[in-house]
Amino acid sequence: MGSTVETDVKLEDTEPRRVVALFEQFATENGLSLRIAQRFELALDEVLTNVVSYAFPEGAQNPYIKVTMQVDGTWLTVRVQDNGPAFDPLHDAKEPDLSLDADHRPIGGLGIFLAKTFVHTLTYDRVDGCNRLTLSQPLEAPPENANP
Amino acid sequence: MKVTTTHSGNTAVAAVNGRVDSANAKDLDQELTDIIDQGASRLVVDCSELSYISSAGLRALLVAIKKTNAAGGGVAMCRVPPHIREVLEVSGFTRLTKVFDTPGEAEASF
Repeated sequence: MGSTVETDVKLEDTEPRRVVALFEQFATENGLSLRIAQRFELALDEVLTNVVSYAFPEGAQNPYIKVTMQVDGTWLTVRVQDNGPAFDPLHDAKEPDLSLDADHRPIGGLGIFLAKTFVHTLTYDRVDGCNRLTLSQPLEAPPENANP
Repeated sequence: MKVTTTHSGNTAVAAVNGRVDSANAKDLDQELTDIIDQGASRLVVDCSELSYISSAGLRALLVAIKKTNAAGGGVAMCRVPPHIREVLEVSGFTRLTKVFDTPGEAEASF
């Protein structure tokens, strides 16, 4: 059986925290491992913070962001969809140079890199006039019965 | 999020409690900047009660590392929970600041 939760997101900087808390609850209800939940939580926070901060120009009319969380069979999938101008944050996102010393490290630019690192798959597509970022993760197989 | 600071000469231990994300990273930035501006060039960040940090929090941390380095000191971290340590490692921050088991070891590292 699958489980799905949807939430509309306002253009406010406290919204990623609310949605992440909703995800934590969703992860608990669906019995996700703490490790998968913690890593996925960070990836979702980074992706959604990016959308809330940059997807819409100042004074955009009817901005719309929706997050859909789904566990279906052995996969966890979260979609972040917005009706802002077409923008793929994964394309051209520069890999940070982690070898630089502190003086030369630029401030910022780690969010999408962390999101890519902490989920199995992160994809972008443009669907029905909306940007859609999809985070997905295979779930661990249930433990085998110790007493067959 | 709450920051509790203990000063000792030019060294300060800042214990960060709670979540640091895009909604409150500015507050952490301000707290650490205030500590450094009060003369602490050697800053120990105690993470034992830090439950979560995103890239916005790392940004505040990097600012503190740059400022303390420029003042001839630096930042050392201690008591970092495993899931936070993984974020520091992946983002290359374990190259920018050392991580210790206890505040005492972190203070002694300067």
